[in-house]
Amino acid sequence: MADNRRRFLVAAIGTTGAALTALVGWPLLRTLTPDSGEGADAQVRVPRKDVPVGGAKFVQYKGKPAVVLQPEPGKFTALSAVCTHLGCIVKFKPEQGDFECPCHGGRFDTKGEVLAGPPPEPLATLAVAVDGDDIVVG
Amino acid sequence: MTTLARKAVDWLDERVGIREAFRENATEYRVPRNINVFYSLGTVLLVLFGLQFLTGILLLAHYVPHPDQAFDSVKRIVNEVPYGWLARNLHAVGSNLAIVVLLLHMLSVIFMGSYKKPRELTWLSGFILFNLGLALCLTGYLLPWSQLSFWATTVSTEAAGSVPVIGEYLVRIARGAPTVGGATLGRFFALHVVVLPLGLLAIIGAHLMLVRRIGISRPPFGKPGEVVKKGVHEDHPDGIPFFPNYVAEEIAVVSFVLAGLFAIAVFSPEVFIPADALEPADPFNTPAHIKPEWYFLWAYQTLKIMPTEFIGLAVQGAFMTFLALLPFVDRKAERHPFRRPLFLSLFVGIIALFIGISVWGHYS
Amino acid sequence: MIPLFTLLFSLSAAAAPADTACLQCHGSMPGRLGAPVEEWKQSVHAANGISCHDCHGGDPTDPANAMSPDRGFLGKPEPTAVPDFCGRCHVGVADDYKGSLHGKALGAGGPNCVTCHGNHAVQRASLAIIDEQRCGACHAPDRAMKIKAALQATDDRIGSLEAALEPLHRQAFDVEDMKGELFQARNDFHRLFHTVQVSRVEAGAGKVGEKLDAVQASIDGVHAEIARRHRWGGVVVGLFVLMGLLGVALRRSLHAEE
Repeated sequence: MADNRRRFLVAAIGTTGAALTALVGWPLLRTLTPDSGEGADAQVRVPRKDVPVGGAKFVQYKGKPAVVLQPEPGKFTALSAVCTHLGCIVKFKPEQGDFECPCHGGRFDTKGEVLAGPPPEPLATLAVAVDGDDIVVG
Repeated sequence: MTTLARKAVDWLDERVGIREAFRENATEYRVPRNINVFYSLGTVLLVLFGLQFLTGILLLAHYVPHPDQAFDSVKRIVNEVPYGWLARNLHAVGSNLAIVVLLLHMLSVIFMGSYKKPRELTWLSGFILFNLGLALCLTGYLLPWSQLSFWATTVSTEAAGSVPVIGEYLVRIARGAPTVGGATLGRFFALHVVVLPLGLLAIIGAHLMLVRRIGISRPPFGKPGEVVKKGVHEDHPDGIPFFPNYVAEEIAVVSFVLAGLFAIAVFSPEVFIPADALEPADPFNTPAHIKPEWYFLWAYQTLKIMPTEFIGLAVQGAFMTFLALLPFVDRKAERHPFRRPLFLSLFVGIIALFIGISVWGHYS
Repeated sequence: MIPLFTLLFSLSAAAAPADTACLQCHGSMPGRLGAPVEEWKQSVHAANGISCHDCHGGDPTDPANAMSPDRGFLGKPEPTAVPDFCGRCHVGVADDYKGSLHGKALGAGGPNCVTCHGNHAVQRASLAIIDEQRCGACHAPDRAMKIKAALQATDDRIGSLEAALEPLHRQAFDVEDMKGELFQARNDFHRLFHTVQVSRVEAGAGKVGEKLDAVQASIDGVHAEIARRHRWGGVVVGLFVLMGLLGVALRRSLHAEE
């Protein structure tokens, strides 16, 4: 009888303790995982004059680097600037008109397609709209 | 237990002998039959210090120790970091609660005469821990760089200046500059997050080692059990097992204290976060009625009522030295408070005096 | 915009003004020359660290030359110069006043700033100064009450929103932005009054109302957050108490066999 009672009490203390650990531990853990940065700056405006024809302008979009291009006069595109191989930031080579990743030599064209090297996927394409003198990414 | 868990325990047992360690320190570790609730306060303090370390590390991940950014970083922690308010409130309220429990732990040890031979070093290490606790509070107080932080630190460091000859030098060391500023914040930060916590950990280790080695004291009340002496060390062969019997009591006390901590931290943190703590530090504007925290009020008021600040400091120093050396001053073996009338009247008298001076300090 | 924000910051700093040469001499003078010091001490200017020299000029650090025109001393303005005198700080409201019928009647029996607000004992502007006695000196009594009624509801609302921010600030919530919004709303609204046209006041109240709705929404958001915290805290505290009670029960059950 006393044994049953005790077993129940021990189980109840264990359950309450586990519930409390989760209930208190989760919020405290959350202090280390702030918002991902999405939403806060979901749209980025870039002045049109910053993106010359055949040039590239690097901006921060949703917490990660992105690049805005003007491949033909009046036509704007935007790509993620994060290499799909190991996450380095690609460099724009204006003389060749393509991107090269300084880490392992991956190369991408201005549409984001892989030209050479280890990257497994093309660079992600981002939505672009022209609004007056600004280009809006996102 | 599942076989996998049993295997893991077996594996560890073969290498480090955890079953034996558990037997020796838990199931077969006997505590006196007449043990009372005050013996659980040490465990409460371990849990509270643990929580201070945990919340402190979380705050440290977001805090910026620079006069231009400290206040805003705390503001950001409280308003923007997810559940940052919880970490901050637990840390601020927890520090106050730790002082309360430190005081209760010390007072109960004094009341039951547990500091006496052979536990002089246990007492001394505990007394050092109490002072480290106060130093952690004092240094942590400056970090949010609020009006309260700035002026409380200005006043507390200023007090050192009344020491003859080296006073000026002491103030310089404490502040790192003629007045409280960036240099002060830097050294207080280093003390608060590295030096003092390391010291605390080391001395907690020594304190626990001494408690285990000498054996816990038998309360002077109730029906005493049998005591076996091995040299100065004590054993209680007819005592109750520490685990699970006394651990159940510790779980209860720790839970109630944590219930109180969370209740204050969530429902009324303003009890321990005064209004001046919400205004950024302004070195050109001393707020009215700046007062130290409740546990320093006695020291603040003694400095005010003594003819010179130096006499005040000397009185405080003499009292703290007397407390530190208590087991070496009071060497009679009798521990029951009601058979020590001089002790009992001093005990009650000094507590009343401290409360009186603190209340006076609060309202003056 | 800029003077508004400097004013806002000086409000939040709320510094007590230092003891100046002006206060030292005039404070001990009897009658007409000493009275302004006592009046000023009760004023909203004193509470926000605005001292004699901030309006009257001069050098507050040098008793010998404190009232020398070389040090920028202006002395007492002529009644018709009062709006420009106050308008150096209260920029927007001075413009509105000058455009109003009150302002156009300046020098021809129309009121200047101190007619309604008083001078040295100036208080934070409130609707209490619109009363039949003051306005009734020139206007039919119902006219004052009509414009007051148009202002009252919005003014009360600003006041109650400000009052609602205090306890939130006390609980460490960041209410600076909301405070700024309200300060600006109050300022815009009180400027409106100086046009002394009921129709413009009523139209303006609508615009200010939208701003106040936004502040109210922010305050509601904070209250919802507090309620969430309290629900979570209630569960946690309850579980700790439960665990404590279970511990006591276990201890009792074990104690029975000791």
